[in-house]
Amino acid sequence: MAAELFRRGLRDHGRALVGWCAGAAAYVLFLSAIYPSIGSSPDIEEVIQNLPDAVKGFFGLGAVDLTSGSGFVDTELFSIVLPLIAIALGIGSGARILAGEEESGRLELLLAYPLRRRSATLAKGAAVGVELLALALVMLVALAAASLVFGLELPFGHLVGGVAGVGLLGLLHGWLALALGAAVPNRGLAIGVAAAFAGVGYLIGGLFSLASWVEPFRFLSSFWWVGQSPLSSGVTWWHLAVVAATALALLLAASLLFERRDVMTP
Amino acid sequence: MADAPAIATHGLTKRYRADVAALDGLDLEVGRGEVFGFLGPNGAGKSTTIRLLLDLIRPTAGTASLLGLDTRRDGVEARARIGYLPGDLRLADRLTGREQLDSLARLRGTTRPELRDTLVERFGVTLDRPIRELSKGNRQKLGVVQAFMHRPDLLILDEPTSGLDPLLQEEFRLLLRETASEGRTVFLSSHSLDEVQHAADRLALIRDGRLLRVDTVAALRAHAVRHVTVTFAEAAEPAAFAGLDGVRVESADDRVVRLAVPAGAMDAVVKAAAGHPIADLVSAPAQLEEIFLDLYRAPPDGG
Repeated sequence: MAAELFRRGLRDHGRALVGWCAGAAAYVLFLSAIYPSIGSSPDIEEVIQNLPDAVKGFFGLGAVDLTSGSGFVDTELFSIVLPLIAIALGIGSGARILAGEEESGRLELLLAYPLRRRSATLAKGAAVGVELLALALVMLVALAAASLVFGLELPFGHLVGGVAGVGLLGLLHGWLALALGAAVPNRGLAIGVAAAFAGVGYLIGGLFSLASWVEPFRFLSSFWWVGQSPLSSGVTWWHLAVVAATALALLLAASLLFERRDVMTP
Repeated sequence: MADAPAIATHGLTKRYRADVAALDGLDLEVGRGEVFGFLGPNGAGKSTTIRLLLDLIRPTAGTASLLGLDTRRDGVEARARIGYLPGDLRLADRLTGREQLDSLARLRGTTRPELRDTLVERFGVTLDRPIRELSKGNRQKLGVVQAFMHRPDLLILDEPTSGLDPLLQEEFRLLLRETASEGRTVFLSSHSLDEVQHAADRLALIRDGRLLRVDTVAALRAHAVRHVTVTFAEAAEPAAFAGLDGVRVESADDRVVRLAVPAGAMDAVVKAAAGHPIADLVSAPAQLEEIFLDLYRAPPDGG
């Protein structure tokens, strides 16, 4: 049954997943360890206030207080690093699990077994989802632990929201890559287009507050939807629901697209 | 549906590009309990046919059914009753043979462990090493086991004995015969006549996406050209044969004349030869190999 493809998807990517999780946890702990020395030094704030407004605006500096634990974690982790880790894992996994397997020729025998392409796609999408869930949980635990150990005093509700946003960001891009691979049997294309979407989203997310002509396009930025300072300002839950719904729509699209086309042999 | 043909195709056509038909209007019927050889050179459309049967690719026109089940509409039900061995078998390199077979059994949802174990023993399959460390032949054995291990009603095998050593090829032919004797069907695709001629009851010949001929191996032989060697008691006169319909003088050397004689012209040849004292006359059927090479080479529409 298709559930076997879910199992295999996780198993085949298990080692890589452990690597991503360990890397994310290590980075969180390493960065948080720096906080005590920054939090007690008001000079940093002065340095930031002296930066050009455009730089501050793009990187979201100045809007938050870097000397507070929440502001520090928002700036150092949630603005780019954690989303990047989740997106990279999501895109890599989403592109590999369908288009990658197809390009390697391993999918042909499996699809000659009695299962629907729809179910196969959904099972593979579920494996990508569980990988991101695992990553998000590791991030949550690492951040909660770091908050206690290094005195970041992160509000737990905001922390959960922020990590959920990062996980959904990874899921959105992962299922986008899956859907691209379901439409065209090309792993490189799936990675490239999904990564470009992430890049554009990041740029718009950084620029919309600076350039008024960008502002109407902020809805196209996945980063804008999840929010870039979740610990200082909290997340807007219905925004996260929109991201989750979009991701689900992409997964559904993937299953329909893959149902229609010819399977490629290398 | 119990007596529906194992495979039936009607006008099955696949164009990957608008101007080239990889498969062009295939009409084929394979009965239950047959070992059916599907023979053609590389690129003839064999794999395209198989991939259409498995619903991996979709026909441009025409329909196909397996065991009475439409490959498009009832594909899942159909595939539950078939076993498939791909021509280019790619397995999960990091798994061991045992893990791979277990995984495939779970994917299918039905297992017959005792049947699997029998096959593993019979073909000497290596189960406990990662597949990436296995030779081509040992991987192929895993492919054979996964195709047969749920006792399917129809086996679709693409170049199945590639990589198997001669002893195992013989064992494999036995397995095919047993399968057919149980009323199950084997569809055996190959570019190699050797692989199919001893196993198959009937053969289909395909080239450039078109079916050239379907016949029993015996009938193909019967209709084939004879090589006749006539040894005369005195100097031969090959000119006596040159005028006969379809007969070709292959060589004439003192008293010995070698002729290629179509099945229908034998009588005329013997009568023509009888005009002179004959020392010896030998007639031998052409090798099947020659028959196929002739058919392969013939112009597409000229016959």
